[in-house]
Amino acid sequence: MAPITFLLAVFFTSIGAGTVGAVLGLGGGILLVPILTMFFQVDMHYAMGASIISVIATSSGAAAAYLATGLSNVRIGLFLVMATIAGALTGALLSDVVPVPWLEIVLGLALAYSAVATLQQLNVELPGDVPDDRLAVRFGLEGVYYDRRLAQEVKYRATRVGRGFAAMYGAGVLSGLLGIGSGAFKVLAMDHFMRLPMKVSTATSNFMIGITAAASAGIYFARGDIHPLIVAPVSIGVLLGAYFGTALMGRMRNTTVRKAFLPVVVYLALSMILRGLGIHFP
Amino acid sequence: MSPRACGRESTPGAGIERLIARVLFWGGLLGVALMLVGLLLWALQGGLQSHVLEVRRTIRSGRSDRPPGVFVSLPEVTGSLTARPPDPLAVVALGVVVLLGTPVVGVAAAIPAFLRSGERRYAAVAGIVLSMLLANLLLAGGAG
Repeated sequence: MAPITFLLAVFFTSIGAGTVGAVLGLGGGILLVPILTMFFQVDMHYAMGASIISVIATSSGAAAAYLATGLSNVRIGLFLVMATIAGALTGALLSDVVPVPWLEIVLGLALAYSAVATLQQLNVELPGDVPDDRLAVRFGLEGVYYDRRLAQEVKYRATRVGRGFAAMYGAGVLSGLLGIGSGAFKVLAMDHFMRLPMKVSTATSNFMIGITAAASAGIYFARGDIHPLIVAPVSIGVLLGAYFGTALMGRMRNTTVRKAFLPVVVYLALSMILRGLGIHFP
Repeated sequence: MSPRACGRESTPGAGIERLIARVLFWGGLLGVALMLVGLLLWALQGGLQSHVLEVRRTIRSGRSDRPPGVFVSLPEVTGSLTARPPDPLAVVALGVVVLLGTPVVGVAAAIPAFLRSGERRYAAVAGIVLSMLLANLLLAGGAG
């Protein structure tokens, strides 16, 4: 493949990944790494380096728009990101101690359970009244946004914050142990445990993934895993895609976002369980 | 989409959201703009004709086989920018550094904003997050 063809192909692929990442709160890395390695024969280290930088690009583009519209909740994001970064540090420290295959199987089973839970509330547009939570009241973990699709102002309040915080810590540990992004886990913790509206969950995840990615991206940079000729077309494409994604999500229903999210959870669950069993899965 | 151009906002203390949104928006844009400029300069200097893209699967056994344009520290980037002629791929790397620092600056900017709006608890939360980020960056420097 000629260099110009390669750069343009990676650029246009990244626009698609950025759009999907911005809507689902994943950052696009989950799509980019397999695409770059399988279809473009990019070295795995460079693909992961480009992916982590693309997460920051998606987050910068998408979170900026979501914060301004009130979809992303900065207080909930900052509160939970403490758990994620602490978990990532713990994971990095435990990486030589914990048997990773067992962990992958446990994580895969937890994700499979989450997929079933997501399926059960597939058509729930808004969470409605939720039980009072001491931590949510104390930290003011609530908000309001104008839903353009529903043409109404939506007020929401977090519940079961302790479980959400623990899930975020777990997501961080896995992130540090396995070197994976944890956007999907963040969305699940906010949607499933804390009962936030799905769009608030993905938008807040977009804000958080940029912070957690920045925490680990320095390591990728120092290791020499960031190749300028891959990261440039990826970041430019992903940022453009993130702007398209934010415009798109404002017009989507919470249920549509959840339906688009479900296959990702199923894929991740299968991928984790098979990896834990020693079967290679992209 | 400019953060100012987006929808309605009615939550109290929305100024903090707007401030972080601006930092993320302009930081992201600056980082990506630098990457675009670097890529264009690289192409104009004949990169597309002469440069073999060493991005395919390669056997990597350490820094000695690092392909040209892969930087691992800020001094390396600034050194290549101030060299004559400057390395266009160092401009791309500078964009990476700007992008990498954008969320950190966003969190740092939130601390005085929370203090001004009387939300000491969240100023402390943002302070803890910032400390963790800086600790991670220091660890990364040590790893490199």
